[in-house]
Amino acid sequence: MIFRIFLSLLLLLPLACCSDYHEKLLLRPLPGNALLASFNFRSNATANSFDEQNFRYFPRSFGQILQHAHTKELHLRFSVGRWDAETWGARPWNGAREGGTGVELWAWVEAKSDEEANSRWLTLTNALSGLFCASLNFIDSTRTIRPMKTFEPEGLHPKSMLPNLQLLHGVLPHEVVCTENLTPFVKLLPCKGKAGISSLLDGHKLFDASWQVMSIDVRPICHGDDESNCILEIEQTVDMVLDRERSKRPRDNPIPRPLPMDQIECDVSKPYHAEDSCYPLEKSSEPAWDLAEIFGRHIKGDCPITGDDSMTVCVNTQPERIINVFTNPEDQDFGMKKIPEENLTCFEPPSNGTDFSLSFPEQNMTTPLPLASPRIHAFRSITGYGQERGGIQAIIQNPSSTEPLDVIYLESLPWYMKPYLHTLRSQLSPPSTIQPIKETYYRPALDRRRGTHLELKLHIPPGSSLTLTYDIEKAILRYTEYPPDANRGFDVAPAAIRVLPGPNDAVDEDTRRRGIYVRTTSLLLPLPTPDFSMPYNVIILTSTVMALGFGGIFNILVRRFVAADEVPENKLPLALTALVARFRGRIRQVITKAMGNREKTE
Amino acid sequence: MPDATPSSSEQTGSPATAPNRRGPPPPTKQEISNTQRVLLSFWAVVIFLGLPIWWKTTTVYRASLPLDVMKDWSQGNVCQPTFPLRVAVEASHITPQEAQHLIKTTQHALDDLNEFSAHHLRLVVATSLSNETMETEDANVLEDDIALLVRLKSTTSSPTPSFNLHTFSPILDVFYGQNQIPSSSSGVSPLASSIAKELQSIFAEEQATLTHLLSSISWKPTQTSTLSPEMASTMTRRSTRSFKYAPTYHLTFSLFTPNSAPSDWAIESALSHHITPLLRALSPISNFTIDSQLQMYAHFSPTFPDPAYDPESKSYTLNTSDLSGFINAADWPLSPSIGAGPTINFILYVPAPHQTPLLVRENGASSWLIPQWGGIQIFNPPTGSAPSSLSADDLSPVMQTFTNQLLSLLGLPNSPSSLPVRLSTLTRVHAASLIFSASDTLGALARLTKSLPNIPIPNTVAHSVDSTIAHLHAACGHLRQGRFAAALQDARVAEAEVERAFFERSMVGQVYFPDEHKVAVYLPLLGPIAVPLVTNSVREWRRWRLARRG
Repeated sequence: MIFRIFLSLLLLLPLACCSDYHEKLLLRPLPGNALLASFNFRSNATANSFDEQNFRYFPRSFGQILQHAHTKELHLRFSVGRWDAETWGARPWNGAREGGTGVELWAWVEAKSDEEANSRWLTLTNALSGLFCASLNFIDSTRTIRPMKTFEPEGLHPKSMLPNLQLLHGVLPHEVVCTENLTPFVKLLPCKGKAGISSLLDGHKLFDASWQVMSIDVRPICHGDDESNCILEIEQTVDMVLDRERSKRPRDNPIPRPLPMDQIECDVSKPYHAEDSCYPLEKSSEPAWDLAEIFGRHIKGDCPITGDDSMTVCVNTQPERIINVFTNPEDQDFGMKKIPEENLTCFEPPSNGTDFSLSFPEQNMTTPLPLASPRIHAFRSITGYGQERGGIQAIIQNPSSTEPLDVIYLESLPWYMKPYLHTLRSQLSPPSTIQPIKETYYRPALDRRRGTHLELKLHIPPGSSLTLTYDIEKAILRYTEYPPDANRGFDVAPAAIRVLPGPNDAVDEDTRRRGIYVRTTSLLLPLPTPDFSMPYNVIILTSTVMALGFGGIFNILVRRFVAADEVPENKLPLALTALVARFRGRIRQVITKAMGNREKTE
Repeated sequence: MPDATPSSSEQTGSPATAPNRRGPPPPTKQEISNTQRVLLSFWAVVIFLGLPIWWKTTTVYRASLPLDVMKDWSQGNVCQPTFPLRVAVEASHITPQEAQHLIKTTQHALDDLNEFSAHHLRLVVATSLSNETMETEDANVLEDDIALLVRLKSTTSSPTPSFNLHTFSPILDVFYGQNQIPSSSSGVSPLASSIAKELQSIFAEEQATLTHLLSSISWKPTQTSTLSPEMASTMTRRSTRSFKYAPTYHLTFSLFTPNSAPSDWAIESALSHHITPLLRALSPISNFTIDSQLQMYAHFSPTFPDPAYDPESKSYTLNTSDLSGFINAADWPLSPSIGAGPTINFILYVPAPHQTPLLVRENGASSWLIPQWGGIQIFNPPTGSAPSSLSADDLSPVMQTFTNQLLSLLGLPNSPSSLPVRLSTLTRVHAASLIFSASDTLGALARLTKSLPNIPIPNTVAHSVDSTIAHLHAACGHLRQGRFAAALQDARVAEAEVERAFFERSMVGQVYFPDEHKVAVYLPLLGPIAVPLVTNSVREWRRWRLARRG
C-alpha cells in the first residue's frame, strides 16, 4: 500500500524533536518504466521567533507574507500533467499534497469580517504572485470561493483563534508551471539545492516529467490553548513521475531513436518473426537505472542540518533488489538500513558535499512490487455542442467491492459558465434505489463578480459508479474580457473530491488530518468568440449608415431640381481629360526617345 | 421624380455633345432663402448641439488646483525656514541678577560668533522657564523645545572653565571658578565667551548640515553662509549615503555563510541588547521593524573574483573596487520587507574556512557601508573555523558596528557626543528637508498639470494638494517658533499627501490616448457629413456675396 509507505516515512520523522529541519526522498519504480520521486522538506519555527521575525530555517520572505496577510494556515500547489491511476495505482500522500492542473491555493485567514478576509486574501495572492513569479494575482473575486466541507484545517489551531479563521480557496487552471516557479521554491529551502536531496532538483528534468506537483503547506501545531506553545511548520514537497527512458536521453541529443535489434526481446512465436521483423515483448526483468543518469546530477552529500533521522534517501523496491552505491571521492562512509516489511531501503548520503548516487542493474525479479489500488476514480468532461449550451458529466467510481464511499464533490466554476442546477441528475450503475446526493451547497454566480460554487455530499455504494450530469449555458463576454488566445478556449478548474474517512479506516491522526483527495482533470470550455476587429467595423458601419441618411436628407433639402438640359456645364471633367491627354503625350515622348537611344547603341 | 429619369439617361448617352444648353433658370427668392435656412439650421444643430455634446463627453475632468500657491511654495516665496534654538541655563548657585547678566553677555558673544542668521541660539533662564511652563497650557511642547540645558557648577579643583557634555541626556555641565562670574558692571567676561564658543562648537555640525541642505535646494535662500569645501564634501557624502526620510524603516539582519556553519546565532539577545535601546531613542523620529534571517550555502556570484591570499597579513583579501559585487543579488534572498518604507539591510558574512580571515586589501577593514542600502560586515572567527552557533558575545562587536552603520545610514551627525542633541539635530534637518521636498513636489505637480492638458485631475488630488499646503504652513510656523517635533509631524504628513497626489493612478491612463486616435475613430462619421455641409455652405456664401455685389 503506497500510502502506508508514506505513512511509515512520516513515522520515521518524529514531529517536534531535536532539529527543526527534515528532508526525505522516496524513489519508487512504477509500471511502464516510470519512476515516482517524492521529495519532502519540513522545517519548524516557534511561534515566538516567528512573531518577532527572527527566521532561521523558516524562509523570511514567505514568513513575512504570512504575517502581513494574517494567514494562519496555507496550502499552495503548482501542478502539471495527470496521474495515471490505472497504471500507477494510488496517489502519493493519498492526494493530499496535490492540486488541480495549474495553481491552486487555499488558506485560513484570520479576519473579523468578510471584507477584511477578502482584502487580506488579495494581499496574500499578490505577494505570493511576486514571490513565485506566478500569475497568482489573477485569483480575484471571480475565482475565489469559500468551501464548506471539502477542506478542513490540517494544523492544530488554538481554540480561541478558530472562530476568526476564514477559509478562502482560489484556482488558476490556465497557469503554466515552469522553471521560474521552481527557482524561488528551491530558494526557500535551507540548503537551497546546494546540498542534500534538493541538489537533485533540476528544472530541465522536473518539467520533463509526466506528472509533477510542487506544494507548500504551512500549518501551526499548538498543543493546548497556549499560543506561545505553538510551532509553525512549513512542509514543501515535490512529487514527480519521470519516464526513465526519456530521462536518460542526453540533453544535447534529445531525439528518441529505436534500440538496436539485439537489445529488443522478440516474440518468437509470431509467424512473421524473422531476422528483420520483430514483435517486441515487454521485458520480464526489472530494467537497469541510475539515479544520477535520470536526474542529470548527483546528490551533493547530505544537508548537515537534517535532524536525527538522516536516512534521507529511500528506495521502495523488493528487498532482494541489488543496489550499487556510488560516491565521489570513492569509499566514503554512508549509512544504509533495510526495512523488508515495508519494501524499503534507506540510505544516508555522506557528508561534506560528497557526490552520492544509486544505480540498479538489470535484474530478474521473482515477486512483483505490490501496487496499491486507488480508493476512487474520477473523470469529468464537457458534453454537447454549439456555442450556446453544453453539459458537464462527471463519473465517480468506487472500485471497492465491500466498502461504500462517502465523498464531497467541489466545483468552482467561472462565472461565464452558467450551470442549471435543476438539470443536475445523478445516476448509479449498476442501478440502485439509493439516492446518491446527500447534501447540496450551491452559491450561484454573479456576472463578473463571483463564480459558481457547488459542493455536493455523495454516497456511492460498493462497486458502483456514479454519473453526475448538468447543463450549462455559455456566456458572451465583453470585447476586453477575452484573453489573447480566445479561440483556444477557457480553462475550467478541476473538481476536487474529498473521500470522507469511513468507519473501518484505521489511520493515524496526521493522515486523518491531511485527508484523502482526488482531482479531475481541468476542462477546456470553448466560448463564442467574436471577430476582434469588430469595434472598428461597428464604428465604420454605423458611421456609413448615419452619413448615408444625413446625405440623403441634406441633398433633398438643399439641391435644386432642374431639367436635364438645364444642368450647368461641369468644368471639372473637361479639365481632367485635358490633363490626362497631356500626360499621355509626355509618356509617349519619353518612350520614343528611349527607343531611339537603344537603336543607336545597337 | 418620374420625369427626371428619361432626361438623365439622355444625358449619360451623350454627355459631351450638348450643343444648345439652356442653362438653369435663375433660382427664385423663395428657393434661395429656403436653402439658406436649411443650411443655417444644420449649422445651428452642429454648433449648438453637436459641439457642446462632443465637448461634454470627451473633456477630461480637471479639478482646479491652486497653481500659483503651489509655484510660490516651490520657489520658496512662502516659507523661509528659521531654526531658533532655545538653550536653557540653570544657575542655582548665583544670584538671578548675576545669572541674567551672564546670559546677556553670553548671548552677545554667541550672536557675534554666529554667521548663519537662520540658525540661532537663544539663551533662557531655566528657572524662569519653568515658571512660564506652569502658566502655559502646552507644557510638554515647551519642555521639548529646549535643545540643551546648561548647568553652571562651581568647582575648585580642575582648570576652569571646563565643560562636560552628557552622552545620554542633552545637558552641558559648565564648571567655573568662584571668581569667574562676571560682575554686573563689566562688559566682557572670559566665562561668557568660552561658554559661547563651546555652544557654537556643539552646534557647528548642525549649522553646517543645514547650510548644506539650504544650498542644495533649487531656489537659493537669501541668508545662507558658505561652507568650507572640505566641509561641503563631507556633507555631500553624508547626504548621498543616508536614506531619504521615511516614517517607517525595516531593518533586516542577515547572516550569510557559504557553508552549513554557523547554523544558529543568538540574534534575539543581541538585538535586544544593542539595537532595541537605540531604536527606542529614535522612535520620535521614525518607526522601525526588525527581522532577521540565517542563510546557508550563500555563494558569491560567479563573476565575483576569488579573494586573493596576502602572505604579509596572512589573510585573504578583497579589492575595494570589487566590494560593490560582494552581494550576490540574484541568489541571496534580500528582498525588501513588505509594507511601506525602505528596508535597511545588515549583512554578517561568515567566510568559508579556506578563506578565513577575509579582509579588505587596502585598509584591512572587515566592514563597509553601501550607501542607501545597508551595511556589510565580515565575521572572521578567532579560531579559524566557524562555530556551529554564534553566541551573544561573538555578536556584540558585530552589533556595535551595525549600530554605527545604522546611525550613519539614517544621517545622524557625528558630533557632538551627546546622543539626544544629535537626535534633535536630526529632527530639525529632517523637518527642513521634508518641507523642501514637499514644496518641490508641489512645484513639479503644478508644472505637470500645466504641461499636460490631457491628463484628468480627480478631486482627491485637489484635496491632497490643499492638505499639503495646510500642513506645510503649519510646519513652517512650528519651525519659526522652535517647535521642531511638531514641525516634523506636519512636514511628514505634507510629504505623504503630496506624494499621494503626485502618484495618483487615475492621472496616468489618459496620457496614452492621444487626440489623433479620437479623430481616426470619428473620421468615418465626420468626413461624409462635413464635406457636403461645407461645400454647400461655400457655394451659398459665394452666391450671397455675388448677389450683394450685383
